[in-house]
Amino acid sequence: MNDVRSMNRRRFMTLTGSTLAMLGGGQAFAQQPQGRLRIDPTEFRPIPIAISNFVPGSPADGDVGNGVTQVITNNLKRSGLFAPIDQAAFIERISNIDVAPQFENWKTLNAQALVTGRMTRQPDGRLKAEFRLWDVVTGQQLAGQQYFTSPEYWRRIAHIISDQIYEKLTGEKGYFDSRVVFVDESGPKERRVKRLAMMDQDGANVRYLTRGSDLVLTPRFSPNSQEITYMEFGQGDPKVYLFNIETGQREIVGNFPGMTFAPRFSPDGQRVIMSLQQGGNSNLFVMDLRSRSTTRLTDTPAIDTSPSYSPDGTRICFESDRGGRSQIYVMGAGGGAAQRISFSKDDTNASYSTPVWSPRGDYIAFTRQGGGQFSIGVMKPDGSGERLLTSGFHNEGPTFSPNGRVLMFFRDPGGNGGPSLYSVDISGRNELKVPTPGFASDPAWSPLLSSTAGQ
Amino acid sequence: MKVNVDKTLVASIALHVLVLGWGLVTFSSRAFVAPEESLPVDIISSDQLAKMMAGQKTGKKEEPKPKVEKIAEAKPEEDAVGKVTEKKELIKTNSTPEPPPKPVEKPVEKKPEPPKPVAEAKPKEEPKPQEKKPDPAKEDPIAELQKKLETKKSPPKPVEQKVAAVQPQQQPKPKERSFDPAQIQRDLDKRAATRHELTGSALNASAALGSATGTAANNVATWRGAFQGAVKRCFTPTYNGQDADQYEADIDIPMKIDGSLASEPVVVAVRGPSRSIAQAVAESAKRAIVQCQVYSFMPKQQYESWKLIPMTFGLKDML
Repeated sequence: MNDVRSMNRRRFMTLTGSTLAMLGGGQAFAQQPQGRLRIDPTEFRPIPIAISNFVPGSPADGDVGNGVTQVITNNLKRSGLFAPIDQAAFIERISNIDVAPQFENWKTLNAQALVTGRMTRQPDGRLKAEFRLWDVVTGQQLAGQQYFTSPEYWRRIAHIISDQIYEKLTGEKGYFDSRVVFVDESGPKERRVKRLAMMDQDGANVRYLTRGSDLVLTPRFSPNSQEITYMEFGQGDPKVYLFNIETGQREIVGNFPGMTFAPRFSPDGQRVIMSLQQGGNSNLFVMDLRSRSTTRLTDTPAIDTSPSYSPDGTRICFESDRGGRSQIYVMGAGGGAAQRISFSKDDTNASYSTPVWSPRGDYIAFTRQGGGQFSIGVMKPDGSGERLLTSGFHNEGPTFSPNGRVLMFFRDPGGNGGPSLYSVDISGRNELKVPTPGFASDPAWSPLLSSTAGQ
Repeated sequence: MKVNVDKTLVASIALHVLVLGWGLVTFSSRAFVAPEESLPVDIISSDQLAKMMAGQKTGKKEEPKPKVEKIAEAKPEEDAVGKVTEKKELIKTNSTPEPPPKPVEKPVEKKPEPPKPVAEAKPKEEPKPQEKKPDPAKEDPIAELQKKLETKKSPPKPVEQKVAAVQPQQQPKPKERSFDPAQIQRDLDKRAATRHELTGSALNASAALGSATGTAANNVATWRGAFQGAVKRCFTPTYNGQDADQYEADIDIPMKIDGSLASEPVVVAVRGPSRSIAQAVAESAKRAIVQCQVYSFMPKQQYESWKLIPMTFGLKDML
């Protein structure tokens, strides 16, 4: 009896144990989903690309060929999406761009793409630029174009070629053929001279648009013409001006009794939205540039400013202190109820300002002030997905590249120094200083020049 | 009796209750949660496990031999037949020293080849056999060997080798038992080739339960992960928009057994809000697949399972 019982017990224990083991082990053999293997990149890596020197069509074209190569290399490198391979490593020297390169020579460099090109001065004095973009891995030509231009615009040709390469390899529009208008600052800190200046997005071809006798702030590009709107402290109240880059003409926008500031164009370029000071408050107004009619958009006992249209023109984001501290709100383009989208996620009780809607529509960039730091960040138009890209003593005034991929802003290190321009990818990677002749602030990125009426 | 039984039972129950009760009180739920680091785990199916062990659940215990999936290469067999048989027979019987007839036949057919060894081999083969005679000669034939060597019957031997390979069905075998020092020399030189490899000299058709330590390399989960990792190294998409996770490219990859691509990867479908970006993702994926080959680590015996690898490239974690 005893034996039988103990046996039973033992068997029971064994059974229980094995059952438990089965239960526990069963999960390890759960069905693996059959079908497609899936790959998602976990880390970002730039595309390795080889840019060979542009072949001179005649011996005199060597310099311009090298220049174009350098500009393209610099553009692609600064974008952070490409890793141009050092020319010293090249095995093959491209001397004729009309024959296919030996792809094996470029595969060994791990290049995914190869750029070849030729610059030729035409008998009529114009410059002919040809380029080919090769997929080294598959041996296919991805792009091949030729352009004619007058020789002084060779840099622009280089930018246009850069955009072509960028677009072919990333699927996104490029932004290299664009300009940046900014406030150039010179002189001692207490008597700073602030001039309106304009340059290519890579810092070349700086031009000064104003003489510096009057203080200028917040310049903004028109989306489709060679015009800039900005605020200038002249005699009397600060006013919003319209400035034509080509003709140098300028005019005051509207005829308002008080101070007008923080102007910005609508996406169609037909209207300018801005703040108008009324007593201790300010409200948003929009003015139609053709009919000169103005419409009030907000009417609050608070400071509403820094308006920016969504790319489709149906909504406006702006900053307002109606809730106590400065925060970002979104409302319809015709005015009406506004919804607050910025909320400090930590206990720094941060304030948010200078919202800018991305030309791509997916993000709103802002300046965040909290915890003794100024940060540049982006959030979705509904306020979610907030991401700070850079933080420090003073960062302010973000502006989007034409394709919405890069932000430019200005940073002031404090002390006796002055502000400088920086750019950063909206992922927060690839922060770079933008070369300027002196101190610089308040950058505003132009749309892609090839999409506007310019030149 | 019964009382005794009850006592032990009572004692057992009491002890159990005591131990379990003590355990309940002492082990708080927190104590059970040991701080463990997470481990990467491949989830595999029972099917894959069986494959790993090279066995089948339907197998019988009496047949412990794992199923062999691959037949070893044929080369060693060819050599082995001749050598192994000769070796064994050599030891057993050394008589009938009458090899001459065959050489006479064969050289006629294949004159170009044999002559060379005949001419050159004589001087070379003489010293070696003499040195190595002792090993096989342990049994008895030392004396005979020496005699035969002196009489120089080495010329026919290279020919014999061919005879064995070409015409083993005829009568040569019994005659080959004859004592050939050159043959011994060859045996000694190429001993490795005569070893029977344990893996797969023949297919074992009957299903077995398999061994506990299987051919884990056969596991599909392993090559899938390795392949994913290899392609990922070259995959450099650039798009990082908010809607990046909506972009996907389905690509079929035709493979050759050596791990290279049989042809260009085929883009089956692309998805995403922007066609140009989706296309760029697909192109980037294609470049990655081509650039990162050859995938030589792919298990050849499982070629059927990766002849065509369907993949999806996405931008889920892009930032």
